[in-house]
Amino acid sequence: MRTFRLAIVENDEDERFFMSEAFRASGEFEILGEFGNGDQLTEWLHESPRELPELVLSDLNMPGKNGYDIIDELKTTYPDIAVFATSTSSVVSTREKCMRAGAKDFIAKPDIFIAYDSFVAEFYQLACQCLGG
Amino acid sequence: MHLNSDLIFRSLAEGIFLLDETGRITTCNPAASAITGYDATEIEAKPFYAIGEGQDDPIKYRYELDQALKKKKFVVEGWKMRKDHTRYWAETSYSPVFDESGHLTGYCVLLRDINEQKKREFDLLESEERYRLMVEAIRDYSIFMLDPDGNVMTWNDGGTFIHGYSESEILGKHFSVFYLSADLIDEKPKKKLQIASESGSYREEGWRVKKGGSLFWASVVLTALFNDRNMLIGYSKVTRDLTHRLKDEEILRQSEARYRSLVEQVGDYGIFMLDTKGRIISWNEGARRIKGYSAEDVIGKYFSIFYPEEDILNGKPAWELKVARSTGKYEEEGWRLRKDGSRFWASIVITAVYDTESRLSGFSKVTRDLTERKMSEQALQESSDKYRQLAEELSVTNGELSSVNRELEQFTAIVSHDLKEPVRTVRSFLHLMDQHLDQQKFDLLKASIGKGILAAQRMHDLIDNLLHYSQISKIGLERQKLKVANVIGEAIQNLNDAIEQSGAHIRVDSDVPFIYGDRVQLVQLFQNLLANALKFTNGSTPEVQVKSWMEDGSVRFVVHDNGIGISPQNLEKIFEIFRRLHFSDQYQGNGVGLAVCKKVVERHRGKIWAESVQGNGASFHIVLPKI
Repeated sequence: MRTFRLAIVENDEDERFFMSEAFRASGEFEILGEFGNGDQLTEWLHESPRELPELVLSDLNMPGKNGYDIIDELKTTYPDIAVFATSTSSVVSTREKCMRAGAKDFIAKPDIFIAYDSFVAEFYQLACQCLGG
Repeated sequence: MHLNSDLIFRSLAEGIFLLDETGRITTCNPAASAITGYDATEIEAKPFYAIGEGQDDPIKYRYELDQALKKKKFVVEGWKMRKDHTRYWAETSYSPVFDESGHLTGYCVLLRDINEQKKREFDLLESEERYRLMVEAIRDYSIFMLDPDGNVMTWNDGGTFIHGYSESEILGKHFSVFYLSADLIDEKPKKKLQIASESGSYREEGWRVKKGGSLFWASVVLTALFNDRNMLIGYSKVTRDLTHRLKDEEILRQSEARYRSLVEQVGDYGIFMLDTKGRIISWNEGARRIKGYSAEDVIGKYFSIFYPEEDILNGKPAWELKVARSTGKYEEEGWRLRKDGSRFWASIVITAVYDTESRLSGFSKVTRDLTERKMSEQALQESSDKYRQLAEELSVTNGELSSVNRELEQFTAIVSHDLKEPVRTVRSFLHLMDQHLDQQKFDLLKASIGKGILAAQRMHDLIDNLLHYSQISKIGLERQKLKVANVIGEAIQNLNDAIEQSGAHIRVDSDVPFIYGDRVQLVQLFQNLLANALKFTNGSTPEVQVKSWMEDGSVRFVVHDNGIGISPQNLEKIFEIFRRLHFSDQYQGNGVGLAVCKKVVERHRGKIWAESVQGNGASFHIVLPKI
């Protein structure tokens, strides 16, 4: 079974904690980094990490560079990295806006952040479709 | 030299025959032989008629000789035949010859070949005859000759046809029979002959009398005829009956009369004629209705009476005629005066009128009263202006509605993102605490409760801010004249604590004493900008400068700080609601302040933007309309 190298961008620490816990628990993802916003992510990427992530999962609403900024920036600087957007919003227009901007897909966050298991499973499916599993 | 009679006889160039008393030829001279072709010997003792026209006619010959005897000379002309049988026209002159005792001894005959002369006469006759026949056959013209006294000498078919007299009735009569008695009293016929003889010809048109006494309209040309010695030998008179043409002219006159009455009766257009000087010479019903003058009022007056005084002083009427004269036409619309002095809006066309010989004979002027049309046009214009204004208002309202709609969408987005987030956090921690209780991990409860409370607090703040933000766009703007110093002063006053804590220096350089706007909102605007200037620092003492000046009729404010500045890609994002560039542990905030500023400025129909130069702080620029 294939595992994916992942970077998580989420400004809420508690949310980020439970999110990454669920990803690790699944055993399907290798988390290369966790970041509070786009600024932190790009800073890390520019420092030429040993390994680049295959996937970036990014929240949309964040202080500084937000999710849209990340989609926009990585599209040109790191076109090989597939960016997936996530948000508490389940409004259709938000998803469309992300896809238009260049996100591989959009997944709505679970109702409560202690229930990330099914989110992780869905994300794995999408990742396989996108990068091949 | 001896001159004897025989020598003369032989040498004479005229052809001479000598006949005995019975009329037989005794001899002839060579000239005679040359004419006839016969030698004297050939015709000796033959009667003279033997060299005649080929048919012996002794009776006629006897008569001719008797006549010669009686009258002593007798001349005849007629055809004779030469020896070679060719004909010639001969003049034969017989003279009887008597001896001393008075007895007839014979005849001397002089023969002349006058063939050539005769032929010329014939030709002339023939040509004259042709002309005569031609003239006589002409029916459309009466052509006849008068003798110098005016008596009719010739007549033609045309004369019969036109005047009614037959040739026999008129020949020899004086041509005055063709004239009216009135003309006769004036001695017109005599005068006309005189004019014709003096100047060569005379022409005229006039009434003439036919045989029955009826009249016809005649065109007459009388031409004096002179012979080669320049003596007056008579007159030719050519007459045409133009009554028919006169009828046409009468029809024309009637049609003109009809046209005139038509023009006179037209009621909607003022149509009248001016003479070359601009005096009114005709008037119609429309002119009466439009201008209020009757024909008696205006005929003979200058058309400038219709013009307002300033036009007359400017010489406009005369100028219009000048234009019409030089270009053929003058058109315009303008105010004109009625008889009662009231104005009407006239559309006028002045057209130069020329007679058949292209001489200016005056002007026609057509006037229409467009006052009503102008009024309705104006009314239409006004109503269309009103509708346009209404449409503009609608468009503005529409724009406002669209912006409200956009705000509503934004609000939806905010509710779905920003407000949902803390609720979700609270829910999440409640669920987590439930798990902790199930797992008897009571020590973990405290932390989760604390985070739940924080999230609930954040929720509360967000709702407050959102309400505040939406209030700005809801509550009516209270426009009043405000002292700039007071507005900025109040904002500074509200930030007193923060200023004291940071030890900031705020300098205000305001060139603009007053602005118009909502006091509460403008204070909020400056308060938010100043608060940001105090907050976003690198720990150094804030230096803030507020300036204002007039610029293109607007008021320009600049709030400049020495803080951390703003990177270029974020210069616009900062005005979005709930947009934060920093984590709240770095710089406190709720992402509403600049969104409120933008809203306030837009509600005052102004513009706000940020500028920032790396390491030189940020400056916020505001342009507000003066009023």
